[in-house]
Amino acid sequence: MKNARQFGTLIGLAVLCAILWILTPYFLTVSNLLNVAEQTSINAIVAVGMTFVILSGGIDLSVGSIVALSGVVLGASLKSDQPMLVGVIVASLVGLACGLGNGALVSWGGLPPFIVTLGTMSIARGAALLFTEGRPVSGFDAGFRALATGRAGFIPAPVIVMLLVYLAAHFVLSRTTFGRYVYAIGGNEEATRLSGVAIRFHKTMIYGVSGLMSAVAAIILTARLNSAQPIAGMMYELDAIAATVIGGTSLMGGEGSLGGTLVGALIMGVLRNGLNLLGVSSFLQQIVIGGVIVVAVLLDTILKRRNRSI
Amino acid sequence: MKNALALILIAAASVSCNREAPADTRNSKPTVALVLKTLNHPFFVDMRRGAQEAADRLGVNLQVQAAEREIDVEKQMQIVENLIQTGIQALAITPSGSREIVSALVKARDAKVPIIVVDTRVDEKAAADAGVHTETFVGSDNYEGGKLAGDYLLKVSGGKARVGILEGIPGHETGDSRLRGFRDAVKATPGVSIVASQPANWERDQGFNVFQNMLQAHPDIDSVFACSDLMALGAIEAIAAAGRTGKIRVIGFDALDDAKKAIGEGSMAASVAQFPSEMGRVAVESAVKVIRGETVPAQIKVRLELVTKENLQ
Repeated sequence: MKNARQFGTLIGLAVLCAILWILTPYFLTVSNLLNVAEQTSINAIVAVGMTFVILSGGIDLSVGSIVALSGVVLGASLKSDQPMLVGVIVASLVGLACGLGNGALVSWGGLPPFIVTLGTMSIARGAALLFTEGRPVSGFDAGFRALATGRAGFIPAPVIVMLLVYLAAHFVLSRTTFGRYVYAIGGNEEATRLSGVAIRFHKTMIYGVSGLMSAVAAIILTARLNSAQPIAGMMYELDAIAATVIGGTSLMGGEGSLGGTLVGALIMGVLRNGLNLLGVSSFLQQIVIGGVIVVAVLLDTILKRRNRSI
Repeated sequence: MKNALALILIAAASVSCNREAPADTRNSKPTVALVLKTLNHPFFVDMRRGAQEAADRLGVNLQVQAAEREIDVEKQMQIVENLIQTGIQALAITPSGSREIVSALVKARDAKVPIIVVDTRVDEKAAADAGVHTETFVGSDNYEGGKLAGDYLLKVSGGKARVGILEGIPGHETGDSRLRGFRDAVKATPGVSIVASQPANWERDQGFNVFQNMLQAHPDIDSVFACSDLMALGAIEAIAAAGRTGKIRVIGFDALDDAKKAIGEGSMAASVAQFPSEMGRVAVESAVKVIRGETVPAQIKVRLELVTKENLQ
């Protein structure tokens, strides 16, 4: 059943590509497909963390703000002539710390994830604005920008980073005990706790993963724009949630996969790209994207209900 | 998923009807892209109208795209990347960020698409560092506009005023220039003091909230300069809520229809008029010239005008 759902999403992506191929001569070209993959990479990376959180039955609304905060810390570090690696590590630590903070409040504080991450969303955004006095930090050297502008062969660097992140995250989720506990906590937290799993520790780590992924996305975004903006990443949480649920991960937790999320992110990227190529008004674009999200989840719900009644 | 695809198909089909087949028109009709900050602001809607009229007149295939939110540089960059794929011959753009947009312009340069900058300037140093050349800048001088507003305040207040300022998004060239112009105009007059200056991020509801807070902190404020009319209109609502309509001078920027109405009713004192539809028109005309290989001036200034009750048509 799980495979069928994932397969369905993949077919959806294929059909979407076929439709765009028919409608516009510009869609199915190597340069455009690489373009879509590059544009998708940031949302796809944030969505990895979101998938971990949603699989465990939680939600993380703070990812966009963490992208902004990690980004401006990275920008400031690069501007103060620190080596690139220092900036990248510090930014990652900031993202990780925000995530762990979320996790600790959810598990030890016993607060609902929605409330905790809503608070962090505002705190991290405010911190980013305070840290930069509201102004973007811009102009980095070419070595750092290569993280976005560089290519390995013909594949853009952000796409490589995205694929590496997915491979690593997939390994963690499918081959480690931590990965199994992510599913178990989302499936039945009480039963998992009774079987002796350190729920609080693992939940904290799950939100930590989400924060870290936001930081990785921030690094790519900063290199891509050659600028770190305190107002960057607004609404990223909604894009990441959308990619995750289109990819078939249940908001109830316990069910879903990273492969689905990647396909979900690609569906959103292809849609946006295709609607641009077709010259569709930006207002209609929002309607179409919203429609796809609702229909994908509706379909998921219907399939599950049918499955249960059998 | 089937349903999702049906929906996409319907949406796509409905637009493909009025979409020109690129193969037939590529040679005869030049394609110009106009990328706006957003389309949920009357300023940019007017700009699109002016651009579309010019495009129809000159036989240009105009592609207008905009980000959903004014500050979304990453989205603008995606739009530019996507439009380049469709083989546009010129790019007219209102940058969401003076520096941040340069990365997107690099992509246009690599695709050899000439760039026309509209309304908001591109940071010169950042562009030079990246090796980006822009054909022309079409826009009003926002600094002059801010000065116009400041001079007006000096005149009507007789050189005595306590001013609250509503700023745009920090770091935006447009708002910063207006602010500098206004401050420079009033700074030599000791009777005029700026008691508060806060960003309301170009938005009406934030203009309301921020000004309401300002009034709490400084009840003696007698004049407001808002870097855009939407924020000014928000401030007017806040003034009305405090029961002080007409007692506080509100000076805005953009001369939107709602602002002109407020000026007529006396709840607003003045607004600096820009002519976005003219900007749109000149942008398309310049794009066509560049495509034809003609030269255009490095800067094309679009006029500014102070609208008050006296000259309101």
